[in-house]
Amino acid sequence: MALFLVLPLAMMVYVSFWTQTTFAISSDLTLKSWKTFFASDTYFGALTRTLKIWLIVLAVTFALGYPAALFIGRYVKDKTTQTILLVACVIPFWTSFLIRVLAWRPMLGKEGAINIVLQKFGLIEQPIEVLLFTELSVIVGMVQIYVVFMVGPIAFMLARIDDSLIEAARDLGASSYTIFRRIIFPLSLPGVVVGAIFVSVMVLGEFATAAALSGRKVNLLGNIIVTQVGSLKWAFAAVVGVILTLVMALVITALLRLVNLRKEL
Amino acid sequence: MNNNSTIYATLAVYLSLFLIFLYGPFVVMGILSFQQGPEGGPQFPIIEWSTFWYKHILGYAPPTRIAPLPIGDALLRSITLSIATMIVSTVLGTLTAQAFRRNFKGAGIIFYLVVLGMMVPGVLLGLGTSLLANQFGIDRNWWSTAFVLHVVYTFPFAFLVMLAIFNRFDPKIEEAAWALGVDPLTTFRKITFPVIFPGVLSAMLFAFTLSYDEFPRTLFTGGADVTMPLAIYGTFAVEIHPNLFAFGVLTTLFSFSLLTVYGLLMAASLRRSRSSISGIQEDIE
Repeated sequence: MALFLVLPLAMMVYVSFWTQTTFAISSDLTLKSWKTFFASDTYFGALTRTLKIWLIVLAVTFALGYPAALFIGRYVKDKTTQTILLVACVIPFWTSFLIRVLAWRPMLGKEGAINIVLQKFGLIEQPIEVLLFTELSVIVGMVQIYVVFMVGPIAFMLARIDDSLIEAARDLGASSYTIFRRIIFPLSLPGVVVGAIFVSVMVLGEFATAAALSGRKVNLLGNIIVTQVGSLKWAFAAVVGVILTLVMALVITALLRLVNLRKEL
Repeated sequence: MNNNSTIYATLAVYLSLFLIFLYGPFVVMGILSFQQGPEGGPQFPIIEWSTFWYKHILGYAPPTRIAPLPIGDALLRSITLSIATMIVSTVLGTLTAQAFRRNFKGAGIIFYLVVLGMMVPGVLLGLGTSLLANQFGIDRNWWSTAFVLHVVYTFPFAFLVMLAIFNRFDPKIEEAAWALGVDPLTTFRKITFPVIFPGVLSAMLFAFTLSYDEFPRTLFTGGADVTMPLAIYGTFAVEIHPNLFAFGVLTTLFSFSLLTVYGLLMAASLRRSRSSISGIQEDIE
């Protein structure tokens, strides 16, 4: 495990200091690749864009996923129905990830399903063109793919809350909103954190959705790694990889600060 | 209480909208897979309903300018790879979880190390491994380097599933068998295995599907022979045709049949354990 997991990552850090020329790479240590990354707008821009898209996707998956999880976990009392609803959320997961991403193209395109429906109802005159091949389409695609990872853990934590706790609060005269704010939400927080970790790890390392739905206009850190490896620029790809690792480590540590997972689970 | 039922209704409506959002693209994909071929593109409107693209995938369509999906070999490779990964990951996962039943020195570190395998993004691990392979002059192939990474990726899932099973497993029933003089192998076969079987099945299911659909790791370490996801990724660069959607529908059906088999096996094992319990009860009475 250590051999196949830690060694590749260590190698990546090492290679990021190698000397890269146009056609060859040598193991003389240098900081050149690192300087290129921070000096170039394209590459540094990719870092900020990755962070921006990550934050948006995280916020949207939480906003969309929490009510769904709340319904499944708290309002559906029957265990079987609960399971069926959760499975219904997971089923899309069973189609190839890449095909699911591609399925958004006919949805969002200029002559896509959404535009056709909106025009039929007379809501818009002209088809909306910004839907596909923009950052928006990348975000929509990612949200649909990853929102399930938010719903699952939250619903799990919500279903574990003891009903008598809520009854007690109600008997003491707490309103529904107060009960949610003071009891239900704090108790579901570990689920939120687990969901957020899943979503963050996957979105930060993502490149296929961006490649498929942005027409190669939106470049994330992952996309840069893929193109750099494609042109055999190993050292540079390694620099991007190390930066991505650092970002991810920071994010996960910050999330774990919020709750003590080992204690809660 | 009235307030409560309003919330209930609102959330129920919300959940249905949410499910529509999850399934919308599939419906569109399903409809478009029946687009007329070979001129019809992957967009609305449907020129004429036909099964042309399904025939195109299966190789029955008359030759056109659109190259057929390179699925034959790729599919075979994908399935071989995921079956191999499934076996290795499930066995390793079961053994490791078995080891974790006792608290040993360094258990905490090893636990995090194993779980790290499913947390580290495929892009990073793929990149690192290909750098390593370059350095030591190892050829990158789908059955060597990519296979190793698939195991690193799926093994933690199998491990966690088995750990959850073993946590609920009562060691007394094994001890009882040993006390009665049953040899360890028979104990495992007759006592341990039937109890952990549902877990093993779930671990296999996880490992198979994750490996079958795994993409970023394979992209970097898979070498020249592509697996199924790589073949699909290859079509991103060029124009896409409805044959991809038809293929998507077919793979979805395939996954469903796999899930059904899993469900049936699970139900059968539950029924068996129930009937054997009632059998024991009858014996006692």
